[in-house]
Amino acid sequence: MYELKTLLPQFEIKLPTCMYALKNVSLAADALDSSAGPSTSSCRGQHRLENSRSRGSNANVNNPAATCALDLDSLGRQIQQLLKDDTATVTARQEKVLKQLEDLKTQLGQIRAGLGVCGKTFQHTTAFQNGGLKEIPLQDVVINGHPNFIPYALLALKNAWRDLYTIDVKTFTHSTMADIGPAAREFEANLAKVPVNPALPKINITLIWKNCEHTEMISSPTMYVPIYGEVNIIRYLGRVGPAEYRYEGSPLCNEIDLVLDICYQLLRCNTHKTQVAMVRLLDKRLQQQQYFGGAQMSVADIGVYSSLIRMPAITDKDLTPALVAWRKRAKLVVQI
Amino acid sequence: MAEEKENVPVGEQVSKKGAKKQAKAAKKAEQKAENASAAAAQNAGGDGAEDHAAGRYGLSEMIQSKDKRSERNFVPVPELRGQVGKGLVWVRGRVHTSRAKGKQCFLILRQQSSTVQCILAVGDIISKQMVKFAGNIPKESIIDIQAKAVAVASKIESCTEQSLELSVEQIFVISQAKAQLPLQIEDASRPENAEDDGLNIRVNQDTRLDNRVLDLRTPANQAIFRLEAGVCRLFRDILTEQGFTEIHTPKIISAASEGGANVFTVSYFKDSAYLAQSPQLYKQMAIAADFDKVFTVGAVFRAEDSNTHRHLTEFVGLDLEMAFKYHYHEVLHTIGNTFTAIFKGLRDKYAREIESVGQQYKVDAFKFLEPPLILQFSEGVAMLREAGVETGDEEDLSTPNEKLLGRLVKAKYDTDFYILDKFPLAIRPFYTMPDPNNPVYSNSYDMFMRGEEILSGAQRIHDPEYLIERAKHHGIDTSKIAAYIESFRYGCPPHAGGGIGMERVVMLYLGLDNIRKTSMFPRDPKRLTP
Repeated sequence: MYELKTLLPQFEIKLPTCMYALKNVSLAADALDSSAGPSTSSCRGQHRLENSRSRGSNANVNNPAATCALDLDSLGRQIQQLLKDDTATVTARQEKVLKQLEDLKTQLGQIRAGLGVCGKTFQHTTAFQNGGLKEIPLQDVVINGHPNFIPYALLALKNAWRDLYTIDVKTFTHSTMADIGPAAREFEANLAKVPVNPALPKINITLIWKNCEHTEMISSPTMYVPIYGEVNIIRYLGRVGPAEYRYEGSPLCNEIDLVLDICYQLLRCNTHKTQVAMVRLLDKRLQQQQYFGGAQMSVADIGVYSSLIRMPAITDKDLTPALVAWRKRAKLVVQI
Repeated sequence: MAEEKENVPVGEQVSKKGAKKQAKAAKKAEQKAENASAAAAQNAGGDGAEDHAAGRYGLSEMIQSKDKRSERNFVPVPELRGQVGKGLVWVRGRVHTSRAKGKQCFLILRQQSSTVQCILAVGDIISKQMVKFAGNIPKESIIDIQAKAVAVASKIESCTEQSLELSVEQIFVISQAKAQLPLQIEDASRPENAEDDGLNIRVNQDTRLDNRVLDLRTPANQAIFRLEAGVCRLFRDILTEQGFTEIHTPKIISAASEGGANVFTVSYFKDSAYLAQSPQLYKQMAIAADFDKVFTVGAVFRAEDSNTHRHLTEFVGLDLEMAFKYHYHEVLHTIGNTFTAIFKGLRDKYAREIESVGQQYKVDAFKFLEPPLILQFSEGVAMLREAGVETGDEEDLSTPNEKLLGRLVKAKYDTDFYILDKFPLAIRPFYTMPDPNNPVYSNSYDMFMRGEEILSGAQRIHDPEYLIERAKHHGIDTSKIAAYIESFRYGCPPHAGGGIGMERVVMLYLGLDNIRKTSMFPRDPKRLTP
């Protein structure tokens, strides 16, 4: 067979747990026979392959023990030799090993360049695990809103995420709106007040005051359909926002979605009676918890808080003591 | 045509008509009894064959300013509503249509875009001869009538004044039109894309332009050119309010002011000169001469032999140039806000004109954002790429890409007006200031309406040495532009600006398909008259 150079010596390879852990034998081999680095590593590869094969076949139960003993033998021999040598030789050997590793790294770099593999592949995979937000630029988002149905959730999220994530909102008035009214103007001013931290990951939002029926969100006209309703926009932002607020993987996922659904229904209620009924439902979900779905603030709280602002007919009288207390807690975070 | 049609039903429905006539005669008898004392004297003059209404109608002698006739109280048609039941008034207008039918004559009087129905019925005041005369006045003649405004029970659908009609007592022709018209106003003002309409006679563009005087009388054209005046007025008012000074630049120049476009040559005594294709150089000289903020409204000539829907060889340019302190975005925002203010002014003050154009040419209302949407050129390219168009980073937008980008921006932001900033340096003229942060881009911008470019502008290089360097880089003979460079040698503030074509802006604002519709007497490679 041709002698093959291994490709991934410097990375940690996570082995399946079904296999026994094996001690690294390359140093031992090096100690016994001071041949060139690459060949050693190839030896190690073969060695391991053999071991795993013998175990997989499960032909002889004693076989692993035999290999183990063999390893122990070589180790013992190595230790004895080490004890004999003085520290200078140890240092020299260590330097040699380091140099070999360095050589290997450059060699691998050349191989990679030759193959035309993107140098960032490895970083990408790690970035994915902790949310690939910094690397992949998010699509700019347009939100169309009517000044009568101000999406307070934007401001709430902006405040709540102050130190986690930047929502950069630019506001425009569409020609179908002659005047946006004082409430929307105040909302605009409050949005502008929140400082923008360029170091944080960021999403650009274009908020357009428009004579439209629903609050709608458009990210790309050619690729995606619009998202309707403030609650669903909160869900979207909850998915792309900071990890602390991403709820898809959380065990509370269903609970949060349920609360957001109640918000959606609440916003549709026309009569005070039905509104109060929805508030009672919300109280049932909250019970004695600090926030909806637990002790942590989540997008559900943002949704409820924003919905309650949009319903000025619901006063503190209509809320239960638990909800009033929650509202006070949430107010500290969302600052509206 | 119309008269023939009328005759057929008359023949068929004799019995009905007869019944109606009898009823009318009875009514008349009643009226006569009531007005007996007042009308007695007039009736005595001539009942039978003689014309008892003589002197109350006829061809007026040519008005040579002999009499002032200040006792005649003329009322504009839209104000007739206030005159209902208030006695006799005078109205001057054109005969839109006139139809004599037995003892009655229906006449629609038009004043610009307003129309009102007039009625002449044989009676104490009006004679048969007078009705016949009124029925024979050629269309488009100018007439004076004295009439009473009378409220009507059912709406008159064919007129703009639907709640009243004029009961005519005197009628004089001031200026008679030829009996044969090269085009019918009704045909010229018929709504486009109204497919259900049986009558589908259209007047083609060339016939319209050949007979522009008649064509301009249609309500849509009346509105278009009033709106166009509005654009100019708003442009002037808004900029003047912001401290701009209006300047006038020469139109006969010695050398081409801009490198690219072709110029018209005119003989200039023993030499030849050119017609200005842009006032840019003079705007910049005004800036160098400390006028700080200037604008100009004037004719611009382009000798481009392009027969497209959006090119004219002569058009009205609205140009502005402005000195700024540190960043050309000061100017960009000023221009953008000027546009928004113009659009808002049109939306709020010219709603009637926009509506009457919309009645003939069905188009969506113009949409815009306030403040205007500003996108980076690179963002625009990214949007195009996402839509599957392959375009280079330093490539200029082709016309189809430009339109597609317009549609994409409309779909995402729902605006017909947007600004594209930071164009690649390679596709801009030599005097454009490069972007200090990225040598590929420049401090230049284009503005778009309904996906078509209307303004192209940039920060200009105000440093003569750098200007020479850039000109050389572009392979331009610096001796030819020596005067231009020279004007920056005595100190010049940093400045930027841009210019728009008035006709193009109006065309795109209204969503019309041809720039000739928004130029009163258009000039293109194939048309020099009228």
